[in-house]
Amino acid sequence: SEMSKDLLPGPYPRTPEERAAAAKKYNMRVEDYEPYPDDGFGYGDYPKLPDKSLHERDPWYQWDQPDMRHNWGQPMHWDFDMYIRNRVDTSPTPVPWHIMRRHFLIFLSTMLIMFGLGGLYPSYRPVGPKQYPFNDLYLERGGDPNKEPPVVTHYEI
Amino acid sequence: MELALLLNTSTLLTLTIILTPILLPLMSNKLQNTPTSITHTVKIAFLMSLVPATLFMYLGSESITSHLEWKFISNFKIPLSFKMDQYSLMFLPIALFVTWSILQFATWYMATEPYITKFFSYLLAFLIAMLMLTTANNMFLLFIGWEGVGIMSFLLIGWWQGRAEANTAALQAVLYNRIGDIGLILSLAWLASTTNTWEIQQPLSPTQTPILPLLGLILAATGKSAQFGLHPWLPAAMEGPTPVSALLHSSTMVVAGIFLLIRTHPLLANNPTALTTCLCLGALSTLFAATCALTQNDIKKIIAFSTSSQLGLMMVTIGLNLPQLAFLHISTHAFFKAMLFLCSGSIIHCLNGEQDIRKMGSLQKMLPTTTSCLTIGNLALMGTPFLAGFYSKDPIIECLNTSYLNTWALLLTLMATSFTATYSIRMTLLVQTGYTRMPSASPTNENNPAVTNPITRLALGSIMAGLLITSFILPTKTPPMTMPTLTKTTAILVTILGIMLALELSNMTHMLTHPKQNPLLNFSSSLGYFNPLTHRFTSTNLLHTGQKFALHLIDLSWYKKMGPQGLADLQLMATKTSITLHTGLIKAYLESFALSILITILFLH
Repeated sequence: SEMSKDLLPGPYPRTPEERAAAAKKYNMRVEDYEPYPDDGFGYGDYPKLPDKSLHERDPWYQWDQPDMRHNWGQPMHWDFDMYIRNRVDTSPTPVPWHIMRRHFLIFLSTMLIMFGLGGLYPSYRPVGPKQYPFNDLYLERGGDPNKEPPVVTHYEI
Repeated sequence: MELALLLNTSTLLTLTIILTPILLPLMSNKLQNTPTSITHTVKIAFLMSLVPATLFMYLGSESITSHLEWKFISNFKIPLSFKMDQYSLMFLPIALFVTWSILQFATWYMATEPYITKFFSYLLAFLIAMLMLTTANNMFLLFIGWEGVGIMSFLLIGWWQGRAEANTAALQAVLYNRIGDIGLILSLAWLASTTNTWEIQQPLSPTQTPILPLLGLILAATGKSAQFGLHPWLPAAMEGPTPVSALLHSSTMVVAGIFLLIRTHPLLANNPTALTTCLCLGALSTLFAATCALTQNDIKKIIAFSTSSQLGLMMVTIGLNLPQLAFLHISTHAFFKAMLFLCSGSIIHCLNGEQDIRKMGSLQKMLPTTTSCLTIGNLALMGTPFLAGFYSKDPIIECLNTSYLNTWALLLTLMATSFTATYSIRMTLLVQTGYTRMPSASPTNENNPAVTNPITRLALGSIMAGLLITSFILPTKTPPMTMPTLTKTTAILVTILGIMLALELSNMTHMLTHPKQNPLLNFSSSLGYFNPLTHRFTSTNLLHTGQKFALHLIDLSWYKKMGPQGLADLQLMATKTSITLHTGLIKAYLESFALSILITILFLH
């Protein structure tokens, strides 16, 4: 059968009695219960649970639903399908976030700058100026056939 | 004339032999598959595929066959056109040989698996998709194979679907491959609109191909072959069973991206920007993966990063405009990498599921065959002279040193080569030598021939394959013939440096106590912080924004702003502006009426 009206989520609680009733409805303590702010987005009296993913819950505890790491009657996060174990992981990282970001960006920027420098100063085998035959192509370059071409030696034996 | 027919027929027969375990059980209830029947099928297909390969080697005959088109409606058809050139004819026997060995190994490794026949059918379906990809002459057929290997990869990585990490890894693989597919579809669209065909052919014009479709192809290769930027899925894919890692994520699937670039290299050769992009991307990938492999403790992850690094090296070769060398490296790499994975699988099973090398040691005495083959594989990976890896890796490094290219790319690739030696030696030292660190009652044995035969077969391949392939296949481009001694021996020297580094590090490990955390160690062991930064940041924002849109903003906009509240707001705004005019000054209004009537009467007069 369907849930009765008093078990469903309701409007934003304005008085302390309404807050206490809402906390009881969601199986939470009155001290823990904190609804979303009433700014027209339609949250109603749904509790604002901390944005922690299921990765942070104890993997070895005997949960009622082990895959969801959730006990019966426990209030679920509004964005629970974002915080399941296949999705976002908010567990604390060994290295703080700002250090991770900084080191990664340093690495990436160093690589890009060095690639740019490597493009400006490429590496190649040693090369010399090109040597042409026939006295530096004297006739092909429009030299006078009657005159004696200047002698060009490219080597010495 | 008859020999060309023989080539075509035997290739098609090979492909048909592979299809029989899928088709025959559909026809009769009595013809059911078993793991051994599928293994034997692949073995027969391998032997059959040697015929066209031999024909190609001795006659140089290639062929392109465009068969029947599978027509759906008048305008849409799947053209079954196969290209049997040196790449597909050489890849066919190699892939089938490696798959046969892996399937034979899997009959032992997955022996306790209740759905073992389904596992083998999945591996077979993957093989069919991969062979379709490599023999395709039409980009559409290649795309079908491309997607096929992606889907089979998803199913096989998440084989133990009860495990949340396996599901996440499979999802990761599919998503990263999908991002690469965007690039592939982009280039397919450009090809269709500009050249009006999806057949792979020589370039039409000597002018430069525009950069956009080439960037699409490079993006596709980045996604499928785990280059830097779209790489996290490859280490995560180690959640799948070891035969899956050996087949998909070392020998066959991950080379599909590089294979695509080899097939389309005439387009790439025209555009130097695309080649430089390939070069730099490959160099960055190879160094990044090698750096990450230095501090990994899971044996499968080390081999996964090694694969990633070698894929980067293949990309570097593409960037040097040497597709044939890249293909040679694909072929030799398949042998020793599959063997490394099979050895690791044997070790893992023998230690009852232990994958951490810090808990292994002195396996040389307990598992002589496996560890000897592991050593052979590592030596081949490092490019030891005259093993398989040498014939492909050394020419690549030589061409790198003698080309006009980005200096930083050269330095990165050389550093990655030395790191390859370092992590390989580290793995060998921790796994095979020293005092044993594992529990005493481990079922270490090599009694089953289903374990030793594939591994020794692949070891033979790792030793001989380089020599065999290079003896029979002529190079299409002139390799650099002359270079100073230092340049010629760069690869060896750099590898020896890496080995010395590894020995020095192991010495330090034995002398010092607990290593202190330093930024470099953290960077390397956390895989460059790439995974948490990108995965958490993008998915949190995307999902948050998606939730906000779907649950709040849509309701807010359609039910409130577009409906009653919006109407009320508009009315309120209109009334607020017009109410300023309602000042209620009756006397002033009457005076203005009187004045205007007076002026009108005066004018009319």
